[in-house]
Amino acid sequence: MSFDPEKEVTVLWRSLHGAQDEIGRTYYRWRKAALELAGPGVSTLQAGLKAAEVIGEEIGRGLLPRLNWLKGEEAWLASLAGAIAANWTNQGALVKVEPGKSGAEAQICWTRCPWPTFAKEYGAPMEEDVQCCDHILQTLLRDVNLFFNVEYRIETQKAIPRGQGACVRRLYKAEKREA
Amino acid sequence: MSTLLFAWDYSSYPGARKYPHLFKPIQLGGLTIPNRIKYAATEDNFNDHEGFVTEADVAYMRARAEGVAGGLCFMQGVYMDEGRQGQGYVGQAAAWDDKYIPGLKRLAEAIHAERAVAGYQLMHCGRVGAVEVERCQAPSFVPQRLRVFKPVEAMTKEDIKACVRQHAEATRRGIEAGFDVFEISGIVGYLVSNFVSSYTNRRTDEYGGDIRGRMRFAVEVIQACKQVCGSDHPLGIRLCAEELLPDVRGNTPEESMRSYQIAEEAGVDYISVTAGWQESIVPVISRDVPMGSWLHLAKRAKEHVRVPVQMAYRLFRPELPNDAIGRGELDMWEMCRSMIADPLMPKKVLEGREEDIRHCVACNLCLARLFRDAPMTCYINPRCAHEHDARFAPQPAEERKQVMVVGAGPAGLECAYVAARRGHEVQVYDRRPEVGGTLNEAARAPYGDEELLTCRDFQKAQCEKAGVELRLGVDVTPELIAKEQPDVVVLATGPVYARGRGKGFDRGNVVNVLDVLAGRAAVGERVVVWGNRKPGIGVALLLAKQGKKVTLVGRDRSAGFDVNPSFKWRYLIYLRQNKVTAYNDCDIEEVGDGEVLVRTYDGYRFPVKCDSVVVTERVANNALKDAVHAEGIQLYVIGDALMPRNLSSAVHDGHRIGLRV
Repeated sequence: MSFDPEKEVTVLWRSLHGAQDEIGRTYYRWRKAALELAGPGVSTLQAGLKAAEVIGEEIGRGLLPRLNWLKGEEAWLASLAGAIAANWTNQGALVKVEPGKSGAEAQICWTRCPWPTFAKEYGAPMEEDVQCCDHILQTLLRDVNLFFNVEYRIETQKAIPRGQGACVRRLYKAEKREA
Repeated sequence: MSTLLFAWDYSSYPGARKYPHLFKPIQLGGLTIPNRIKYAATEDNFNDHEGFVTEADVAYMRARAEGVAGGLCFMQGVYMDEGRQGQGYVGQAAAWDDKYIPGLKRLAEAIHAERAVAGYQLMHCGRVGAVEVERCQAPSFVPQRLRVFKPVEAMTKEDIKACVRQHAEATRRGIEAGFDVFEISGIVGYLVSNFVSSYTNRRTDEYGGDIRGRMRFAVEVIQACKQVCGSDHPLGIRLCAEELLPDVRGNTPEESMRSYQIAEEAGVDYISVTAGWQESIVPVISRDVPMGSWLHLAKRAKEHVRVPVQMAYRLFRPELPNDAIGRGELDMWEMCRSMIADPLMPKKVLEGREEDIRHCVACNLCLARLFRDAPMTCYINPRCAHEHDARFAPQPAEERKQVMVVGAGPAGLECAYVAARRGHEVQVYDRRPEVGGTLNEAARAPYGDEELLTCRDFQKAQCEKAGVELRLGVDVTPELIAKEQPDVVVLATGPVYARGRGKGFDRGNVVNVLDVLAGRAAVGERVVVWGNRKPGIGVALLLAKQGKKVTLVGRDRSAGFDVNPSFKWRYLIYLRQNKVTAYNDCDIEEVGDGEVLVRTYDGYRFPVKCDSVVVTERVANNALKDAVHAEGIQLYVIGDALMPRNLSSAVHDGHRIGLRV
């Protein structure tokens, strides 16, 4: 059989990178369209945060059938953190999950992320990139918390767009609020 | 003093002697039911989208009423609110206004016309409702796990009180319509079950908290309905014995049994035992769950309550409920899908005609249709949903014809007995020495596929009774057709197994799926199965369970394109569990030595190591068509010979042509 693995992988690899690039560009094309339609009085940050809310809700709902309490809370948290990491990995980021100080905590660390590059390319402020990313994560946790009747939070400790070399976020269990 | 609506004497029937526990009376509240049979309330989507009962539903119910042979026959659950938040199915019957009473009355009369006891169910679909409106109601706001369901709105106390009143008013309408027995549906994710479950009830008021608090809504509904029913009309409830929601922290089995006891205290006259929710990740009623698997739940219920206990759930064989009743572990045998597949199923049991039963194959197509807003149909029963349609009732043939059916598989046999019953002279030919066609091999796939053989056995019995002549072990040739000169030829020859477009498909390690399933062909330890539809999945799972390393390669975008979604999810899980790698949207470009070259739909290629390739891809079978045309004989092509599909298509094709020929 005539098969050149290097050639096949090379072409496939290029296609993957092309698809990842299109994800970022599509977002910023829509952002541009939304801002033009909204007119000059609209804050670009507010528009970005609204988009982040929609994206976070969608990702959160998509996680509900995948998360499972059967193996206990620690395993559940690990799969939640892993799912968040996988979402960004698919877009071209390098993300790893590390255990936190307790079983009810995980550290998610982005050592590479394509989004600040896109922000720069399309002239979006770096701080908007940080806040939108953070808002996606906060929003996705909303339905997850409600569904599993838990109270997990995520906080951004470092961010690449702030020049800190990596994005580091702490996912942890907070005290349950009364309904 | 107990009332008997219709007297039935079963003493002369063979089934009553064989299954004595099924055909003895039982008392539900103040009513005596002549036997232990119940057609359980089943949504069918046959009704008007405004909730009015249709001719199709009346005819469907009347057929099931005949089937219960004097037992209980329940219409589908009605929704009770004008705002339609309780409506879970587009064709669900409504009872929120007196204008619905005439239609409901027609259903009660149809059931009574068969001397059966008419049952009426109240069903607010809660978290899985609001099929026609934007938001569904539930005790608390808990997001939906399945996207098919609407966003949730938490009920206020005023909403709860109104809902209780609606139950009572709908009960009054049921009584005015003439129904005898009443039932509250509290199962699978409907409103009552939402209140009962710790998963969906997070309330901190008197309707939440511990199991007694979570049962408060159910208790109020029971008491309100009971007040309307009085002592003349028994009231039951369907409740989960196990929600099967441990992954989202649903009720424990102990809490569920406690809910039974609280319902009994509140005054119900019986409890119908159920298992699982629509959101459960555990299979409950599909073919991969062995029959009788859930009987322990009825036994457990009997240990906790004194009122009669009823249950359905994979009790497709009469000996299962008969023996359970005999052991004191169950009181009534409920059926849904068994009587969708054969409305007269229990009646045939009574009459000692079990060979005439068309058994449900537990594929859940009926459910898959409901969830997609389509009228229910049955995979195996072509007449289901057409009970009101004269075109589906066999009419005597105007002219007796000699019909040659080529192929004794499910399409051919179905066509043969239907045509023979209409008066035609039918011969069925097959080169195999036995009937059943490829079903004989297909039934060897794991996870319950042996139940598919009930179709073959039923069709064989019907052919024999209808006088169909079986000519087995005969290869039909153009010469034979020319010699016999039948009036009609029906080609039900099954598919032709495709030869791949790539190189190497003529190698010795390329084998046919039927040979592998039948054990006639040996395969190596690493196997590539070509074709990702049901035949491919079946053989892949069989080989994987034998310990082989199996890779599935198929052209469809996802495996199981020909399997209905209510069963397909099971296969996808089994493929993962058995470590079968699936390359969908792919084809085999070349079969080589110790490997195949797989090509994705858009041209990428990669090698997969394998010792054997199993061919399951099929194409239409054009053999004999020219020969029939050449003789000027009327020709029909059915089943996989026409277009490779599934068992259901074969049966439905055969039935339709049997009616038409």
